[in-house]
Amino acid sequence: MPEHSRRNVLKSGGAAAAAVMAPLPDGPRPVTAPHQVRQAAQPKAVTDLTLEVNGERHRLEGVEARVTLLDALRERAGLTGAKKGCDRGECGACTVLADGRRIKACLTLAVMQDGRSITTVEGLARGERLHPVQEAFIRRDAFQCGICTPGQIMSAVACIEEGHTGSEDEIREWMSGNLCRCSCYPNIVDAVADAAKAVR
Amino acid sequence: MNTDVVGRPLSRVESRLKVTGAAEYTADVRVPRLLHGFMAMSTIARGRITRIDTRAAEAAGGVVAVYTHETMPRLKQPTYRPFFKPFIPIQSPEIHHAGQPVAFVVAQTLEQAQRAAELVEVEYEETGRPLGELAMGVPFLAPSGPDGPNTFERGDVAEGMARADVRVEAEFTIPMHHHNPIEPHATTAVWKGSKVTVYETTQALGNTQHVVSEALDVPLDDVRVISRYLGGGFGSKGPVWAHTVLACAAARAVGRPVKLVLSRAHMFTSNGHRAETHQRIGIGATRDGRITALDHVSTQQVTRGDVALFNSSEPIRMLYDIPHLSNVQRTVRLDLPTQSFIRSPEACSSHAQEAALDELAHALKLDPVELRKRNWSSRNMADGEEWGSNYLRECYDRAAAKFGWSRRDPRPGSMRDGGELVGWGMATSAHTAGGRPGSGARMTFDVRGRARIQVGTHDLGTGTYTIMTQIAGEVLGIPVEDVLFELGDSAFPLSYASGASTTAPGVGTAVNRVCSAARKAVIEMAVSQPGSPLRGVPAERVDTGDGHLFDTADRRTRVSYRSVIGHGGKPLHFEVEPVDTPLGYSTGAVFVEVRVDPLLGRIRVTRVVGCYDPGTVLNRKTARSQVLGGIIWGIGFTLFEHTLVDPATARIVNPNLSGYLIPVNADVPDIQVQFIDRPDPASDALGARGFGETPMTGVTAAIANAVFHATGKRVRDLPLTQDKLL
Amino acid sequence: MRDFSYVRPDAAAEAVRLVARSADATFVAGGTDLLNLMKDGAEDHALVVDISRLPLAGIEESGGRLRIGAMARMADVALHPVVPKRLPLLSQALLASASPQVRTMATIGGNLLQRTRCWYFRGTGFACNKREPGSGCAALEGRSRWHAVLGGGDHCIAVHPSDLAVALRALDATVHTLGPDGARTVSLADFYREPGDTPHIDNALRHGELITAVEVPLPPAGTHQRYLKLRDRATFEFAVVSVAAVLRTRGRIVEEARLAFGGIATQPWRSAEAEAALRGKPLTERNIAAAGRVLVRDAQPREDNEFKVELVQRALQDVLGRYTGGSR
Repeated sequence: MPEHSRRNVLKSGGAAAAAVMAPLPDGPRPVTAPHQVRQAAQPKAVTDLTLEVNGERHRLEGVEARVTLLDALRERAGLTGAKKGCDRGECGACTVLADGRRIKACLTLAVMQDGRSITTVEGLARGERLHPVQEAFIRRDAFQCGICTPGQIMSAVACIEEGHTGSEDEIREWMSGNLCRCSCYPNIVDAVADAAKAVR
Repeated sequence: MNTDVVGRPLSRVESRLKVTGAAEYTADVRVPRLLHGFMAMSTIARGRITRIDTRAAEAAGGVVAVYTHETMPRLKQPTYRPFFKPFIPIQSPEIHHAGQPVAFVVAQTLEQAQRAAELVEVEYEETGRPLGELAMGVPFLAPSGPDGPNTFERGDVAEGMARADVRVEAEFTIPMHHHNPIEPHATTAVWKGSKVTVYETTQALGNTQHVVSEALDVPLDDVRVISRYLGGGFGSKGPVWAHTVLACAAARAVGRPVKLVLSRAHMFTSNGHRAETHQRIGIGATRDGRITALDHVSTQQVTRGDVALFNSSEPIRMLYDIPHLSNVQRTVRLDLPTQSFIRSPEACSSHAQEAALDELAHALKLDPVELRKRNWSSRNMADGEEWGSNYLRECYDRAAAKFGWSRRDPRPGSMRDGGELVGWGMATSAHTAGGRPGSGARMTFDVRGRARIQVGTHDLGTGTYTIMTQIAGEVLGIPVEDVLFELGDSAFPLSYASGASTTAPGVGTAVNRVCSAARKAVIEMAVSQPGSPLRGVPAERVDTGDGHLFDTADRRTRVSYRSVIGHGGKPLHFEVEPVDTPLGYSTGAVFVEVRVDPLLGRIRVTRVVGCYDPGTVLNRKTARSQVLGGIIWGIGFTLFEHTLVDPATARIVNPNLSGYLIPVNADVPDIQVQFIDRPDPASDALGARGFGETPMTGVTAAIANAVFHATGKRVRDLPLTQDKLL
Repeated sequence: MRDFSYVRPDAAAEAVRLVARSADATFVAGGTDLLNLMKDGAEDHALVVDISRLPLAGIEESGGRLRIGAMARMADVALHPVVPKRLPLLSQALLASASPQVRTMATIGGNLLQRTRCWYFRGTGFACNKREPGSGCAALEGRSRWHAVLGGGDHCIAVHPSDLAVALRALDATVHTLGPDGARTVSLADFYREPGDTPHIDNALRHGELITAVEVPLPPAGTHQRYLKLRDRATFEFAVVSVAAVLRTRGRIVEEARLAFGGIATQPWRSAEAEAALRGKPLTERNIAAAGRVLVRDAQPREDNEFKVELVQRALQDVLGRYTGGSR
């Protein structure tokens, strides 16, 4: 299978990423409350920020304020699972979870997410064990080219968590923020329905 | 061949990578010392640059270089045809369309490159009012192009029309469409000395290799193109476009790797589109539904620099048994970006023909299915040759039965459910497939009996990885787990471009041939190897399966591939050269239900049933998904997709995914898919024909026909938005 | 996008001070529209002041009114226990907006301040008086399918895109603000501006002033509320035409009909005349049609959007028609 060679490439990628985005030593969890104790805020064009990505705390240093969360993940943290399809919130390929809720990573600045917990598609599997949504997507052939899939899967995880899987029509509506140009929509609906059962 | 691998609904072999984010698409590839490119685009459509000022851009943070037509290294206009654009931008001050690159910025980060592109100041001189819409131009008949003549005659149309009892005539318009794969086009060019590796979003490694070689004057062998995962293409990544060449040139000039990813807006002017098309069609028939004549004229947009037509007329020329026929493809020159092919180029002429046939059936008071059956042909009507196989009539019957077509009341507006009008419509699906140069392939059989096959081909999401793995497993008689199929590297034996429904037959044939050669060689080894249980058994009596070779006269006499090759002690290598694949015609029938709100005109497609004849179905799961894709494309095509051009400036108004609407999940109804699944004897790919483009055809007309059935209104200009039913 | 500075102050007053003191500063809350505007070059700011974490996200019911903090997310408001029950119109309008992801990001205040989707405004290089005062309006002679037939003029025909604002107009909401000169309250009726010859001014906010809350009077029990949004694709699209209706009847007689319209006008549109045409009359198909005709009396359609004149009348018929009990 092609997996083997691909996985090796990914491993070397991960090592390179660590240089840019070093996990912090254990310590207090990042604060997400609105009132952090801090000095009077000063406008900055370049900032340092902390994100908890897929359960690991990361410090991103010297990030321009204009960098989106998506570009911070992709171009600076080496996490290319979230995809850029439109950069305008119109396709959903960049969907990630922020503090457990689905957002479009191209529509927020990385610095606006400082201190938050971000989950990307890379963070769903537990070792070799896939998340039920991932398994359902494979079984139901809920993708063709796969470029929208990370976003579809993150949206599906949230959709199930939100409880919007009561009927096929409800799934269709609540999965409509993610475009699939290969148009695997019926299979996506089947996969989300399957996974919703598996998760409960 | 008895492993029954082919046809099985095997999950995609690369699925795990795609659901975990590990599949590395072009824009995901990381290389050291990478710089980011971005392009500034022209805001006028027709004229020339009189002044271009890059000082502010060059002074912006992180900028490495800003290239304009004055400073960009000179590039040679490729003669290799899949470079469709009649010019390379940023080589001269001439402006041919809005959204033409005028500067190429290279910077340390993406944000810096994007910003610098905004800071390039350009002054233009406009040379006349640009033309952006078909109605503004003057139609003419272009000379024959690479795809043959733009006229086609059979019999005598006037005579055929004279013999008709009933005639219908109608005009159809289809707007400009864009492919809009979710993955933007991307190029990362990495030079090592005089050699370049190009990570590219391409449906045609070979095209990219040839064009880069020619444009940058680099020997072909010094250009390597890599594209392992492709985030959709739908034709947009089949030709080679100028940005690829420009990114390679910029990387060579700055002496560092450069990554260029097009923005969504760039994708509306940089990589082709379905040209706006007007069609006039007349059909005559006898009272018993035999078509006597068909007269078809299409008019399509081209640019000032070329006359290539892509909305081709095969359904008109080939499909039905029509004795008298005239087909003319006219063109209009507009100041727009270069047109190209897009999923199912035959969908445009199919739409006009299938919608007009519905009008004819209505005029004849004949069932639309019956009308089509009465004019069915087993031959390619363009050249008179019999097709290898054609089960279209069975498709009509099976899809009609599944849909419940016999319960249809043919009177328009007669079927209601609550306050809604219900309409049922149908059409023929048909698209040519293959008929292009084939594919090479090479294979290594290792000493553990595992097959590694390499082809320079592509998987657009079409399932190439998976179906080729299945073909290899089937032909060799080994489990699919022991097959590693690799693609996406021009260093492998190349296939033709993955487009025009050629990959399944072309690459399938090559994989079949290379695996057949390997299987034969291992059988020869097994029957001659000392100590082999099969030693002395006639080779023709040996069959394979489950990773073993066995004597068909006594199946217990068997030996594993691993044992035979391992005994030889070294891996075995095989390679085949391309052979052309025959032209196929994959057909089907599609039935659609729509519901229309009579007050608001809103249309919903609520049910679709399709039955298709693609020859052998290589993988029922991936084939079904491809049908879903085609049908849903048909829904978008018919109900809302359109690229709008500003009449004053010939600029595209909606270059984004909130103005250019593609279907979302909530647009998609229940879809039932059936296959005939009988091998086409003309195919060497285990009886499989190309098929990817068939399912979109027919859907568009079936929806429009269903809307007529629901409302009594014929809407002949697409998209069929609700305002047209008020 | 230009390189800008960013700051996230802890208090609203500090945020106001930071924006008020520099002409090229702006607020960001959800960011879902601002980032696009800046990426497209339709807006350009040197300083972005993040107010998304200010404690302005509460939703409280008291004294027959619902007060929604400006930083409340669209999704949280739509599904707040009080909203689907007492303000179903608001819930429907919010859930018909954008996508599930954007609804978890975008705030109520930001939604009201989102800018037009007119492609001539967002596509730099086209003449646009809203983006560049005095440069002209390319939409007037351009593709106007998404443009206004009411409330426009010679300078701008761009539609205000918010579904929420249309619903809030029908609900007679008010907006609470905080600016350099302190706090004030503005009725939503006075909040949006017709373009006139200053289409670059969308609303009544002054530079440095931010929305802190929206207040909605809760209609009495038994009031009908409905939002209808028409668009080309099933969902995830801005309105082609939308109607928000708040209807009180006694028997068949209309006591009050508050009607607001989206997609057809330069701002969330109310027509006092159309409402008056229904008040005190039996709710019948004929009377609804009469109100519809009044609504579009001054419409100035163009070739591409002429259909909206007819469609909005039919949409009104659809929305109110279900309460007529079949009376023609």
